[in-house]
Amino acid sequence: MDHIDMNRLKQGEINLGTSIMAVQFQGGVVIGADSRTTSGSYIANRVTDKLTYLHDRIYCCRSGSAADTQAIADFGHYYLQIQTQAMGEAPTVLTAAAVMEKMCYQNKDQLSAGIIVAGWDKKTGPSVYNIPLGGGLFRQPWAIGGSGSTYVYGYCDATYQEGWGKDETVNFVKNTLALAMSRDGSSGGTIRMCVITGDGVERKFIPGDQLPRFWEGKEVLGEVTKKPPPAISAVAGVAPMAVEV
Amino acid sequence: MAAASVYSSPGFDFSNQIRNNFLAGKGLPLPKATSTGTTIVGCIFEDGVILGADTRATEGPIVADKNCEKIHYLTESIRCCGAGTAADTEFVTNLISSNMEMHALTHGRKPRVVTAMTMLKQYLFQHQGQVGAALVLGGVDATGPNLFTIAPHGSTDKLPYVTMGSGSLAAMAVFESTWQPNMSRADALQLVKDAISAGIFNDLGSGSNVDACIITATHTEMLRNVEMPNERVQKERTYVFPKGTTAWKKEDIKKLVLTEEITPLAVEAMDTT
Amino acid sequence: MPDMVTLSRSSAPGQPQQRQFNPYTENGGTILAISGADFSVVAGDTRQSEGYSIQTRYAPKVFRLTDKAVLAVNGFAADGNMFVKQVRQRLEWYRHAHAKDMPLRAIARLIQTMLYARRFFPYYVYNILGGIEEDGSGAVYSFDPVGSYERESCRAAGAAQSLVQPFLDNQIYFKNQVPQPGRPHPKHLPLTTVIQLVIDSFTSATERHIEVGDGLEMYIVLAKGSPLHGLESIDGVQEMTATNEGERIFIIRRNLKRD
Repeated sequence: MDHIDMNRLKQGEINLGTSIMAVQFQGGVVIGADSRTTSGSYIANRVTDKLTYLHDRIYCCRSGSAADTQAIADFGHYYLQIQTQAMGEAPTVLTAAAVMEKMCYQNKDQLSAGIIVAGWDKKTGPSVYNIPLGGGLFRQPWAIGGSGSTYVYGYCDATYQEGWGKDETVNFVKNTLALAMSRDGSSGGTIRMCVITGDGVERKFIPGDQLPRFWEGKEVLGEVTKKPPPAISAVAGVAPMAVEV
Repeated sequence: MAAASVYSSPGFDFSNQIRNNFLAGKGLPLPKATSTGTTIVGCIFEDGVILGADTRATEGPIVADKNCEKIHYLTESIRCCGAGTAADTEFVTNLISSNMEMHALTHGRKPRVVTAMTMLKQYLFQHQGQVGAALVLGGVDATGPNLFTIAPHGSTDKLPYVTMGSGSLAAMAVFESTWQPNMSRADALQLVKDAISAGIFNDLGSGSNVDACIITATHTEMLRNVEMPNERVQKERTYVFPKGTTAWKKEDIKKLVLTEEITPLAVEAMDTT
Repeated sequence: MPDMVTLSRSSAPGQPQQRQFNPYTENGGTILAISGADFSVVAGDTRQSEGYSIQTRYAPKVFRLTDKAVLAVNGFAADGNMFVKQVRQRLEWYRHAHAKDMPLRAIARLIQTMLYARRFFPYYVYNILGGIEEDGSGAVYSFDPVGSYERESCRAAGAAQSLVQPFLDNQIYFKNQVPQPGRPHPKHLPLTTVIQLVIDSFTSATERHIEVGDGLEMYIVLAKGSPLHGLESIDGVQEMTATNEGERIFIIRRNLKRD
């Protein structure tokens, strides 16, 4: 196996060309994702839910092939149910992340999946695990993923600070995703977020027309377009050309 | 039952694969499968789900069937529209229909739409897109109306209105411009007809008639050819060939009627007891 | 749309990749021409498509060149339109030089030369030329994209050629039909029969070929002094003749199914 190609999707496969994110804070984690699913240049679903339930306090953010990541998440969900029955208590985020990583690593030749597992458990409190393309398990205070993430690494590095509360973290996720979605053509639509704490899971939804807005180049472009182009007849000495029908 | 003399493993038979790859390498093209280059749609309305489909099946640029059925039966209250390779959609829906019946029998209750969806996605994922079925799955169960799309690689989407097939863009344009939540039965049916018609007239892979299927909690109504906007026009001439047009080399007439002579031995009175 | 096609399938980094520009597209549709004793019929559908989408439901494929010549072009529409434009220019120059229209067989030879001039970057079109020869007989010339041509009395080309040509062979040339005793096959078919066969060819091709449909345009060229052969009783005939004496040109339009 030489190297992993992000564009190695099978012919006609449906892609979550995605921006996803998870950030841990004092009392929990905030996870978020855009809502666009594409098949080539066609948007197959503009209100996708990429925040997928694994257990009561554990969710994952999916990026890559829709079919592959759904299959992995379905298996992870099944495994954690069995595990809960066997152990008689809720699994840890690490357990969930480890089983997901195992799937991604052992089947790396056949899968294109980049997954972030995040949640809350009694043992460690909030935690975020990143599982990149060929496998690997990395605990991080914040993680971003998907094709849109490349545009916002700098923003995250410059903005993130330890010790945030829930509201600051939610705003950070919302702003980061809005920036990623505005630059990445295969991300877009709406923002979906989940705040996972020991008390429960709270879902948040930002419609496409209420996304945070940043500099959009209006000042520059506005000046040029303000002047209407001269009408053809106004240009001296130029007669409209007769067009052959 | 006597055991088969030759063992054959269950599932697909790959015994010709090496030969076919060799022939393909020599430049022999693979045989073309009939594809339902299709428009299929689904839409949730106030008390159920409506599925819609066109009726054209193609083999490359040739129309193979002008009035095929693309809305397949899964259970009484769950139906599935198929696009893609005709054989795959036909087989996969038959298989899942059978498994759903078994599921209903073992559990003694009506199976859910998500059950069919899970069976279909797991089967399609196992075959890694080699089974070329793109499906619109809809139905009503204990949880209410449900609507899904299932792509050939096994990914699913759950939406209030969906389209698939080569005409999916034309049909989605209609949905995105006129769909509203909680539509009435009549309005939703008209919307489905309009969406399929957009596919029929603007997508070359789709054509002929509109099929629809209205599923509610109590009743499923299959509306076969609910709209027929493309009926065959009258020919200018009649093409009847007089007897003797086809050349022949040999004539051989065989007597097919057998005559038999019956001689009654005794006249018996009819039994009237 | 003309597109970039990657020829080499290797995507190893640093390896050279061969790319090629493909300037051609196939725009579907079908054309057809049949000649009679003193007339010629040239027809084509009006759908222009690319892949599974319709670009337009009305793009003519049949063009009047002179009062005695009609040209049908099928294949890559942009090449077809350009080719007709250039043929027309050459015919106009001929008219200015010789004060008469170019004879049909000369147009046919001209088209051959023009096509062969582009032997190594061909016009991606199949041409069918129909009209009246100098001796007053109906004629059809068919061409391949690089200029090989022959005179025939019937020819179909384009997307549904494989559907229509066998039908024409059977109905025009009476292939695979044994004549009834004492009733030999006619040498030439009457104009009304030919028009009916053309219409039926296109309605049938529309039924079974996805790239054929929307509209049908039929040009009919009548020889100098020829009677109308029942043309006057056909629905919606329009005369397109430019001059008063000589050959006459008519057009008939029909709707075809739009699915």
